[in-house]
Amino acid sequence: MEEEINGLFRQYRETGDVSIRNRIVEKYLYIAAVLAKKFVGRGVDYDDLYQVASLALIKGVDRFDERKGLQFSTFITPTITGEIKNYFRDRSRLIHLPRRVAELRVSVKKAADEILSETGKKPTAKQLSERLGVSEEEIVRAMEAGGVVSLDRPVESDDDEGMSFYDVLPASDDYFEALEINDTVRSALRSLDETERKIVRYRFEEELSQTETAKKLNVSQMFVSRMERKILAKLKEELKKSMAD
Amino acid sequence: MMKEQMTLTFPLRSEFLTTVRLATGGVCSLAGLDLDASEDCKVCVTESLLILKRNGYRAAELSFISEGGLRVRVHGFEKEAGVPSEEDDISYALLGALVKDLALERQGDCVSAIGFAFGS
Repeated sequence: MEEEINGLFRQYRETGDVSIRNRIVEKYLYIAAVLAKKFVGRGVDYDDLYQVASLALIKGVDRFDERKGLQFSTFITPTITGEIKNYFRDRSRLIHLPRRVAELRVSVKKAADEILSETGKKPTAKQLSERLGVSEEEIVRAMEAGGVVSLDRPVESDDDEGMSFYDVLPASDDYFEALEINDTVRSALRSLDETERKIVRYRFEEELSQTETAKKLNVSQMFVSRMERKILAKLKEELKKSMAD
Repeated sequence: MMKEQMTLTFPLRSEFLTTVRLATGGVCSLAGLDLDASEDCKVCVTESLLILKRNGYRAAELSFISEGGLRVRVHGFEKEAGVPSEEDDISYALLGALVKDLALERQGDCVSAIGFAFGS
């Protein structure tokens, strides 16, 4: 098994053939799934964590050198864990929780940011409880609440008897491709300013017409049309650049 | 700072893990750990217990010692048949990624106790 995997890594290093990389990634995708599950309950969806973990896996395959004698699973676990932790630092967001707990989680997050900017240190639950006027236990429970959803819990449906939530999560055949495209597009969108991003959201996510978009932004339809052309050219340029990289 | 200790003993069954995680969160809070360290500590406690479970232990003792940081030790007892699995390697690597001073104690082929620390 290890010899076969090392052979694949060798082939990939020598040829750069993406189909070989994808074969390796498929073999180790379970590690991304296992690790993503470990971090469920911190306010980020499993799907998002799985995406982050999968991207880290793809990058890890590119960086791994089988000649150094390390097992890939030992190499990739800290890499994926690090990426997931970075993701939490960068952009954690709420998952569906009972309203009161969800509201408290929002307050905890806000208070945590405030204390961090005031003191330069991440707050303790005690500091948060003093700031928010709720007990430490409530703080801890609000933080813990996301953990109640277990992906190993059996699905309560006649059709899916004996299966866990994890088993019935949808999968796509073009997963890797979609993942890379999403990542590239997301990076390109970062080059846009706020107004441009709003136009992209109204026109391409909410599928509003140019006139409806213009009304929302309090500008003319002509302005939206001109901006749209400019945005598409800008995105095209950014995508070209990232393909060249 | 005064050294304080808390010990929990419980069956190694999945329905106890949420309670253990809650208790761990409370202890981390008492020990003054920040939110990230608290969450990481909960992951490490859960992971350590899962390792012991896979290694055939039916019960565990979890000890916290607070002394200018938090030292955690879990050890298994009521051992039944169990063999180290491939999943253990991922668990050890995960623990290694989250803590700096991971200590494993073995009995034969199986890990029987795991220790680590958070905070200074």
